[in-house]
Amino acid sequence: MSYQEDLPETSGYSRVSVVISAIVGIVLAIVAVWWAAGTAVFYEGLFRVSPTVEGGGIGADWVAGNTVPWLDFLVAVIHAADVLMGLFILLMVFIHWAAFRRLAGRMRQSDEGSQQTVATDGGEAE
Amino acid sequence: MTSLDHGKFTRVTTTFHSLLALDVFALFFTGYSLTFNDELWWLLSLMGGPESVTALHRAAGFGLIALIGFWATLMITTDTGRSNFQDIMPTGEDIRAFIQDVQFALGNADERHPAAKQFAGGDTDDIPLLSYIGKGVVFIFAVELFLLTVSGLLIWSKTGLMQYFNTKTAAMGFVVFHGLLGVIMLMGVMFHIFEHGFHPAFYPVEPKAFIPRALIPETHADGGIEDLSLAPSWSTVSTVMGVLTVVGIVSVMVGSIFDEGYPVPRELTVGGGPESLLLTIGINAGIFVLFVGLVLSMYGNLLRVRWERELEEDRRQPAATDGGHPDDD
Repeated sequence: MSYQEDLPETSGYSRVSVVISAIVGIVLAIVAVWWAAGTAVFYEGLFRVSPTVEGGGIGADWVAGNTVPWLDFLVAVIHAADVLMGLFILLMVFIHWAAFRRLAGRMRQSDEGSQQTVATDGGEAE
Repeated sequence: MTSLDHGKFTRVTTTFHSLLALDVFALFFTGYSLTFNDELWWLLSLMGGPESVTALHRAAGFGLIALIGFWATLMITTDTGRSNFQDIMPTGEDIRAFIQDVQFALGNADERHPAAKQFAGGDTDDIPLLSYIGKGVVFIFAVELFLLTVSGLLIWSKTGLMQYFNTKTAAMGFVVFHGLLGVIMLMGVMFHIFEHGFHPAFYPVEPKAFIPRALIPETHADGGIEDLSLAPSWSTVSTVMGVLTVVGIVSVMVGSIFDEGYPVPRELTVGGGPESLLLTIGINAGIFVLFVGLVLSMYGNLLRVRWERELEEDRRQPAATDGGHPDDD
């Protein structure tokens, strides 16, 4: 690149070796912590006593004592709203994602590393 | 490349947006490390455990009420505020914009509807104050924040609720309601981050929300989107962030079905939900998207500071037309 012409040439590291080293580092960290934690990510299970309604475990009174019907109904309504709104928001994400890709295709592409169709004649890439 | 495009919001609005974002992120990180404790146990520990997290959540809640109170007062008592009400009302154009956006995404329309455009180029009047998505965000977030504040205040001290309903579980029911209600906003904010961080013309952040309109000359954005060059990293980064956003939304949606509240799930399964590694990874992906949003919000403010300096320098230069150079200071 032209703006780098007067800068000294130094020996560096290739992109591949940096990426490989980074992956090795991350995998090492995950394996080390995984081993040290005894793979007990879901340690909560250890502290559950009689985790059933019959056993009277923690939370049994929520199932047994949930005596406010309209509150129960409200929770059910919110569950439904979460799923409906979630699906709608996902639709919006996909619409925008697709629109962004189309708009990006109209912009000037950088010279190298581009996988998009480049309209070299100045026309639109479509 | 980042393009400023046109300014739409005042300095007060942009500052309010940044403060609201900080506060809501604080509420998300504290609140959902409790609700999705099975998946975000590390976040709970990081913030000092349940005692600390509930205290932080209440502090951020206090901030939210103050922010809502400030904004409602400002919108009602000022002329500028009242003039906004007309601009945020949904119209038939917004529905047409949604339909055209679907067609544009499918390749059946050549342009996005003006009420959907984020990048206008050309004239300031080409796009309305808020796109149809912007209006949706205002309405959904307003309803959500109101209901979350009310239910949050109800569960602030639970003994009153227990006494009123004569049952301990009623208070828990409200906690569950509060947590599930916020999931809609959680998913919405993930989309909001994707929409305003990864538009190719504005990548990595749309400065409109951070640079006040008073600081953006109306004439500078002449060309169309064809005149802008695409950042080389856009394709990769937007794909990764798109995937993370989708995974995050799907995961918190699935998680919300199983995790009804901490520490009390409706079904007494160990751990309070499916002990699935996949869900853990997915919900953490969602939290990562939120974290990116927090960073982008700070970056937007950094852009504002840099833009202010640049303007300041531009304006100062004519003073040195007599041959001097204003770098004595």
